[in-house]
Amino acid sequence: MGKPATAATRQLQGRDDHVQHQWRGQKRCIASRREASSAAAQEVDEPVVEEDAVGPAYQPFEDQTRRPLNAPSHRQALKSAKLAALHARLQLPAKLPLQTLARCLIDPSVDPRPGYNNEPLSILGQELLGYYTAEWLMTRYPRLPMPILFAAQYAFVGNQTLAAMRTEWGVETVAAPGPEVDPGLLQLKRQTPGNALADGEQMRIKHMPQAKRIGSGRRNEEYNYRRGMSSRIVYDDQFGDLQTSLATSTSDSTPPYPSAPISRPDDSTSFRLPDASSEQSPPPSDWYLPRSTQYQDPTATTVEAASATFVRALAGALYLHAGTPASKHFHEQHVVSRHLPLHTLFNFAHPTRDLSRLCAREGFEPPVARLISETGRLSRTPVFVVGVFSGEDKLGEGAGASLNEGRVRAAAAALRGWYLYSPPDGKAMRPSEVEGTGHGKKWKPQMIDIGEIIT
Amino acid sequence: MNAFLQTKLPLFARENPGVEVSVSPRPGKHPVIRGHFINGREKAVCVRNMTPHEILEKALYVRSSSGEKLNKGMKAGRNVVRSNNESVRGVWDPYHGGDFKV
Repeated sequence: MGKPATAATRQLQGRDDHVQHQWRGQKRCIASRREASSAAAQEVDEPVVEEDAVGPAYQPFEDQTRRPLNAPSHRQALKSAKLAALHARLQLPAKLPLQTLARCLIDPSVDPRPGYNNEPLSILGQELLGYYTAEWLMTRYPRLPMPILFAAQYAFVGNQTLAAMRTEWGVETVAAPGPEVDPGLLQLKRQTPGNALADGEQMRIKHMPQAKRIGSGRRNEEYNYRRGMSSRIVYDDQFGDLQTSLATSTSDSTPPYPSAPISRPDDSTSFRLPDASSEQSPPPSDWYLPRSTQYQDPTATTVEAASATFVRALAGALYLHAGTPASKHFHEQHVVSRHLPLHTLFNFAHPTRDLSRLCAREGFEPPVARLISETGRLSRTPVFVVGVFSGEDKLGEGAGASLNEGRVRAAAAALRGWYLYSPPDGKAMRPSEVEGTGHGKKWKPQMIDIGEIIT
Repeated sequence: MNAFLQTKLPLFARENPGVEVSVSPRPGKHPVIRGHFINGREKAVCVRNMTPHEILEKALYVRSSSGEKLNKGMKAGRNVVRSNNESVRGVWDPYHGGDFKV
């Protein structure tokens, strides 16, 4: 048996395992076998673009061009009913060709070549979505504390939300990637679920020891390192998380090169640099590889991560093909239109102390709690309504079962009212609105608060 | 059904570009229009012995429905209005508004 044949059989086996593991969770599959497509009607209207915008600029290496496609080729995109329906359902502009939409659906786990998968588009889209969301949040709620801002950013353009968006759009995922599947499905190679039994082991995969993160040399990324808010702002990504999400394909669970430092959760000297002694006596070649990497394919991904990559890639592709207005419209329609109850994100440890510091900072009179009304003081269920006043102004009001609880709730309500201030409708203006000077809009400086109370 | 496929279906597909239409033969079985909805449910309507116009009406019915169950029963809260927004008046409480004299 020749070498290619063995490789092919291994791949097939791998794919079989894959299907066995991963098709349990998937309930519905509308992918129909024989299809007379409704894309024919669409095909006439769509402008046929042979190459997408990123394609020509990217010059693949020679060995890469010979590699067979693991995903449907862009020629099939025009014939896919799913793609045409998705294009119409999302009301995407006709400038965005179906071929690019098909490429947005190809996850790096299927095809690692950046000229063929959606990773370059998704990097662009993530920056765009992050920028639009951040400026929307900051101009609309200029006094949001940093932790709330990070949480809101994640709630709008985080992985979970974008994955939910993918299901709401009606985009389905493939069982296993391959050139023969419909290009309208999200192409990804799934990770073996953690509760699957590892091959030849009695343990489940989630119980196998594994390395979590690769340190890039900064103490900030050490396991359990106390990361303050300033460090999160300066070093970390737009959600205040460690920058690991985009580099999942290569550097998440396996080191990029044999002696790369790994931070492990379990050992105390968690951060190791390859020092001189280790060079003199090289460790066994697989010391850095946790046992589970033989089960956890580093190129596989989760449906959630792949869905988020798809949505981001679509935003990036919209920007490239249809320009800023289209990507902004996409953001308005799909991201900011979601309902996020911001007041539920707050969690005050000492609201009364924070409020008195706030009043001191802003030059208000010190806050005083006064009882507004009460009932059943001697009963089993008393209720006290307490207001917090600064001079004549009532800052907040809260009801509680004891005087103290009412006071604390009132202070928290006052703080929430302060932090959730929003300028009147039509006054808030985003920097991106004056981008591209064609509109004749003039920039008006916006109020951004100096920051939250830190006690 | 054949007449519907030949005359009405292309127009239906063109007028509803957001709906993915796929046709597959079912030899020896009744013709069925089956709608797959984004919420994961599906709705199937048998269109045996119907005229093309009647079949088109069924297709429009499947297209226009949300995919939710028709009769949820009172337990599932059929008549409950759900909203993301908090009510303007808030939850009723006895300490605001007019005094209540016994």
